[in-house]
Amino acid sequence: MERTWYWRLALVVGVALWSIWQLVPTWYYFRLPPEARNGPKYEESVPRWAPDSRKHLNLGLDLQGGILLAMGVDVDRAVKAKVARRADEIADFLKDKGVAVASSAPSADGSKIEVRSADAPRAEQVVLDAYGSEMAAPSGAPEGAVWFAFKPSVIKDFQGKAVEQAEKTIRNRVDKWGVSEPDIKRKANNQIQIQLPGFKDPEKAKELLGRTAQLEFKIADDESVVLDPIRSELPACPSTPDGWQLPFPATGCWMLETVELPSGGQRQVTYAAASKRQELEAAIATALRPKIARDQDIGIGEVMVGQGPLKERFYRTFLIRAKTELTGDYISDARPGVDSSKGAGEPVVIFTMSPEGGRLMEKLTTENLHRRMATVLDGKVETAPYIQGKISTNGQITLGSGRNYQEKYQEANDIALVLKAGALPAPVTIFEERTVGATLGPELIRRGAIAALVGLAAVMVFMLLYYRMSGLIADVALVENGLLVLAIMSLLGSTLTLPGIAGFVLTLGMAVDANVLINERIREELRAGKTVRQAVEQGYDKVFWTIVDSHVTALVAAVVLMQYGSGPVRGFAVTLIIGLLASMFTSIVVTRVIINWFTRKDTARLSV
Amino acid sequence: MQFKTFDIVPHGTRFDFVGKRRIAVTLSLLFNLAVILWSLPAIHGLDFGVDFAGGTEMQVRFDRVVDPGEIRRQIEALGFKDASVQTYGPESDHSYLVRVGRISLLTQEDVDRVIGAVKGKFQVQGQPHFSPEVGDKIDFEFVGTPPKHADIRAAVESAGVKVREVREEAGLTAGSRSIAVLTQGIQDRVERELFAKFSGAKPEVLRVEYVGPAVGRELRNQGFKAIIYAMALIVVYVGLRFDFRFSPGVIIAIVHDAIITLGYFAFTGREFNLTSVAVILTVVGYSVNDTVVVYDRIRENVAKLKGKKLADIVNISINETLGRTFLTSFATALSLVGLLVFGVGTIFDFAMAMLIGIISGTYSTWFIAAPMTIWLEERAEAKKKVAASAKAA
Repeated sequence: MERTWYWRLALVVGVALWSIWQLVPTWYYFRLPPEARNGPKYEESVPRWAPDSRKHLNLGLDLQGGILLAMGVDVDRAVKAKVARRADEIADFLKDKGVAVASSAPSADGSKIEVRSADAPRAEQVVLDAYGSEMAAPSGAPEGAVWFAFKPSVIKDFQGKAVEQAEKTIRNRVDKWGVSEPDIKRKANNQIQIQLPGFKDPEKAKELLGRTAQLEFKIADDESVVLDPIRSELPACPSTPDGWQLPFPATGCWMLETVELPSGGQRQVTYAAASKRQELEAAIATALRPKIARDQDIGIGEVMVGQGPLKERFYRTFLIRAKTELTGDYISDARPGVDSSKGAGEPVVIFTMSPEGGRLMEKLTTENLHRRMATVLDGKVETAPYIQGKISTNGQITLGSGRNYQEKYQEANDIALVLKAGALPAPVTIFEERTVGATLGPELIRRGAIAALVGLAAVMVFMLLYYRMSGLIADVALVENGLLVLAIMSLLGSTLTLPGIAGFVLTLGMAVDANVLINERIREELRAGKTVRQAVEQGYDKVFWTIVDSHVTALVAAVVLMQYGSGPVRGFAVTLIIGLLASMFTSIVVTRVIINWFTRKDTARLSV
Repeated sequence: MQFKTFDIVPHGTRFDFVGKRRIAVTLSLLFNLAVILWSLPAIHGLDFGVDFAGGTEMQVRFDRVVDPGEIRRQIEALGFKDASVQTYGPESDHSYLVRVGRISLLTQEDVDRVIGAVKGKFQVQGQPHFSPEVGDKIDFEFVGTPPKHADIRAAVESAGVKVREVREEAGLTAGSRSIAVLTQGIQDRVERELFAKFSGAKPEVLRVEYVGPAVGRELRNQGFKAIIYAMALIVVYVGLRFDFRFSPGVIIAIVHDAIITLGYFAFTGREFNLTSVAVILTVVGYSVNDTVVVYDRIRENVAKLKGKKLADIVNISINETLGRTFLTSFATALSLVGLLVFGVGTIFDFAMAMLIGIISGTYSTWFIAAPMTIWLEERAEAKKKVAASAKAA
């Protein structure tokens, strides 16, 4: 045999063994009764030599039961709110500028602001000077009044931001309850779709998701030493010279950060971290909570590490003062901006408070100059910047150092969203709700499994009868294909849905297509009088591109479907894509390795 | 040595596919037209599932046989005109799919009546907010301290609208509060009604799906867009890999297959939903495969059989690849057998429509896609001749 053949054989056997090994956690997962699968019993049952126990096949909403929600953002109302806030702001602004204002209120339909003033032309001039980039003054206002309306581009931009904000809030909340494998996606038409497999209580889901986000400002207690003793109770967080080494121990671990103090010095502040939010919460309850004073509290923040698809996250604690100094209700606007006072400019967050909020903010920032102020959204610390100076109605948040301009601008945008989230009145409504009863699950899984097996058996028997030896070889490849698809799906933690099972069956049917093409071509070459070896070589070479073409066209459709589909349909598309990729390997490489072995002599015969 | 095999399609078959193209194209055109006409809402229309039409769908299981007509009558007695009830799964399951066509939103009169009633009792600030896209929620802001939730509920219910929930939310301006009144959805009513009327048969609601009309419309448009995008990408790929001369044939073939697959849903009246879009997309991606095989052979033969007429080359190519185009489709169809036998509801429809799509894909390869290439070629030739003779004259 040729040397490359041994390499190819090693690859084929290697892939088969890897697939089986990768499916070990899935095997143990499905051996347990459904109630025990998502609990600690599963983690314990997986043997030590197996791959990461989290990498198993998941059952989708349709098979496991659970909840699917589509939350719509009522952007209409958000826009009305923005107009109402701006009306208040304009009244204050005009008073500041010494222009007499009788009233400043949104019109009945909420689309524009009507300002009544003894000196309407001057009011118009003053307002447009300040807000001209965002607003225009439409004509048609009655005598003694002037109208202001947002420009359509501003409204459109704002509507987009409103949806982005709502998504952030929802993500944050779902993350907090620790539902396994939640899927949150932004869809067109101002909607956000949330899938919660295994979640049983629709009322609770709606209640938790439908609430308005609460934004609070709290002061970080960096001078306190109460948490230093955790260094003897928890392990230190593992790190390499390049950075943190994730995942962190499940017990939680400690880290140090250098913090500047208002007195001018620096201090190493101890905090705890863990890879999962629940793990950190457990660590807080046992190790941290008992140590803190009554006026102190522990906030949890999220840290992203790495870039792109390798991005990982962990959670960390902040020691903060329990008292809520200020809430987000008082914020009227926030946006990312650039502070050009320093060299090339620094991305910052610019925010505007309502007049009353401005007074509270001024007091707060004067008293806590140079301390860190945590912005807490829904109980999660989003950011903790230093207070650099007195802030009143208009403030800006400077970001920490150590990142490039682009990342900083992105963060400024994120923080602006968080700040505004606190300012927005309940913009989310439930548009769609689907509850799948658990009783539907087992019945459908059983039927799906039988259907898949019957389809597989029919294809295999046909190949064996029609192509005999070559058919048997194709069948072996088909089995490897099935294992490989399931293994890749487990590795990706994919979700198996009922249409997904149909997609799996269909890919097995499509996978044999390649072998039909190859075998038919071999027959044709044999008929033309070639030797078996020649016929096999020619058969594979000549149909190679045909097989690639047919797979690519099917992949194109599957990828479009994945972009479009949601829930079960997406599961189908994912299965189809993985199946098509796997079938390129098994139907060409695997069958060829085996067939080469049988036709290694020039006089070899092959039933095809 | 004589090489012997059993071939489903005997070796050396010479069937004149190109010669039959007129009949085939006419038949296909008529059939496609019939599907399109039948799918038009004005004539018959597709039965859009809850995914696309919006509405509430429930799967209810009873412990004994219940007359589906009786269930429908009870639901229609509640005021839902386009309720539909169908059995779901095997008879022995006593499962029914109850569908209430469209979610009944609050009508504008309802809203006006509620607002009037609340304004009559309390001092309302500004204009209450109602968005028809949301459908069941009205937001009020009050002057001064808002009234008690129970009082608001009583006021709304006095206007004849049942209330599901009254809750407080942040108001339009900073620091203010607003009160949201959520009215009762039809889901609760239908559920309660079924329990009341069929308590003897122990109804059990297994699954409830609720889709707002906005979501449905959006999904439907996106679905059709996705199909068009996939087709365009495939045509571009085939054009780049082969020759853009082949593109018109590919376009016509995949559009044909997509329409025939749609025909399954149009003529059987089975529900057209997200999964149906998935089937059509898969058919579009799969049916090109056969076409690719034949085109590959045409390209090979054009180089090999120089001097022959294109029509003959196409015919020879189709005949030479007849076995494999048939067998690939057959093998894929075989894998669907299990789903056809054991599948219920959506999954059965998936398998059946896929099967029809596969058959249509093979047919269109033989009779439409390849012969279409000749027709276009002949037209191009004729044009050239006309142009040449015009020049000569």
